[in-house]
Amino acid sequence: MGMSLKELQRSFYNSVFRKNKKNDVELNESVEPAMDLESDQLVNIYRESILGGLTEALVQIYPVCAKLVGEVFFSNMVVGYMREYPSGSPDLADYGYDFSNYVATFEPAMELVYLADVATLEWGWHRAFNAEDVSSSEVSALASLTEVPENKQGDICFVLTPSGYLLRSAYPVHKIWNINQTDFAVEKEGDDCVNLNEGPVNLIVWRNSEFGMRIDVLSDDEYVFLEAISEGKSFAEIATLSCAPKLSELLGRCMQTGLLVGFNLTQRNV
Amino acid sequence: MNKTQWTPTGEVSGAGLGLRSNHYQHILDSKPDVPWFELLSDNYMSGGGLPIARAEAIRDLYPVTLHGVGMSLGSIDPLNLEYMKRLKLLVDRLEPVYVSDHIAWVSVDGKYTHDLLPLPYTLESKQVVVDRISQAQELLGRQILVENPSSYLAFNFSDMDEQVFLTEVVAESGCGILLDVNNVYVSSMNHGFSAEAYLMGLPKERVKEIHLAGYEQKGSYLFDTHGHRVHQPVWELYQKTLELFGAVPTLVEWDTDVPEFEVLQGEAQKAQFYLDKAR
Ligand SMILES: [Fe+2]
Repeated sequence: MGMSLKELQRSFYNSVFRKNKKNDVELNESVEPAMDLESDQLVNIYRESILGGLTEALVQIYPVCAKLVGEVFFSNMVVGYMREYPSGSPDLADYGYDFSNYVATFEPAMELVYLADVATLEWGWHRAFNAEDVSSSEVSALASLTEVPENKQGDICFVLTPSGYLLRSAYPVHKIWNINQTDFAVEKEGDDCVNLNEGPVNLIVWRNSEFGMRIDVLSDDEYVFLEAISEGKSFAEIATLSCAPKLSELLGRCMQTGLLVGFNLTQRNV
Repeated sequence: MNKTQWTPTGEVSGAGLGLRSNHYQHILDSKPDVPWFELLSDNYMSGGGLPIARAEAIRDLYPVTLHGVGMSLGSIDPLNLEYMKRLKLLVDRLEPVYVSDHIAWVSVDGKYTHDLLPLPYTLESKQVVVDRISQAQELLGRQILVENPSSYLAFNFSDMDEQVFLTEVVAESGCGILLDVNNVYVSSMNHGFSAEAYLMGLPKERVKEIHLAGYEQKGSYLFDTHGHRVHQPVWELYQKTLELFGAVPTLVEWDTDVPEFEVLQGEAQKAQFYLDKAR
């Protein structure tokens, strides 16, 4: 009688993600030494394959972070992440969403104060790139906005494009991101310099209707407006926020750029 | 009671190629003469964006098959229904001729390794795999194919050989076999079994597709990297496979350090040469 399948799989998983690279005794006794290798070394083939595969996936999602800290540093950083944050989805594209949280607490990277926010931006890019298409969301077309009766207009909930990913940073992470792109070219002097003290920035990462990827800088009003929309707030609710004086201008602009893709009418509870 | 009779959804023939993102544009622009493409389902799970749009455009020009690693058919975990739902949407959208996954486990307790991990070949494992395959086929409403993995360790309490395990799984679940000839070779070298005896143990009528790929010699063992041309001993084993099973549609896989499209096409043409001889 060997291990039950449940014991074996749990033991295998734990052995792979353990720091000391040692297998549980029972697992070791169940694995036949072969190919001139001991049981520990055989499981290690899988350990390296798994950790290597996950690292590769994270490098693809976070190429700028990897470039900023260097390949070896990045690999060491992600080993800790992979051990502490298991992947909970069969879709590998879902893995890494909480990487910026890990980076923010990763002691050796503390000096790079902007690194966690760069990670957030890269995650936003990854999500926007893979997001659902606009056509698959079930919303009323903006063209039919004029048909909404006046007494219902406060109930309108605008819908942000499914790819829209909002973020704020104390650092100009969009500029850091930009100068670290492989196709970045200096057009005028100073292009490749970033002033970390230039103040906080609001950003939206999104994909337009031609699959074009964009990172746009937002004013405070635009950010408040789009954040409220992404949270599902109605037009009446948005009219009470700090962006209220600019509302019609904001609405016009966001409809025109394609950031807003439609609307729903909420049932107001009186 | 499992449903064990599933009729194949369609047919592909000849030597196809694995579709890789750096070739999308080339394929759409030059429409190369390739009989079919295999798409990695796990690359299109989100259902939106450029990758699926390109895949759909290619699907309009060529028959396609879908191949994945996410079902985790050998896990003690129940089948992930959210994943199966997304896969079903993808299947409905791309209408693949075959849908395939592996004889392996990928996850345990909801934690995913995204790698194909080895099973002990026991009655317990067999029941788990048969149950998962049967449920997957019910959910997708079609037969699936399962692929033999490359393996680097064996459990000493296995009570049957891999080909026996695979044959019984196929008989009890009604699925088909995606026979990876490179994996048979790699495992046979690593574990010291006869690749030919392995092939002869499989049910001929259930082998619906063949995979070919390149391995890598790592010290004392062979590792399946999908990053090389198909090696000579695998071509030889492939010819024996065709003698046994006939001109089964064959796919050349290349996943790491993917070269120019022409290199892949050259590998497929070589496979096609052997397929033509086997007809
Ligand atoms: Fe394969």
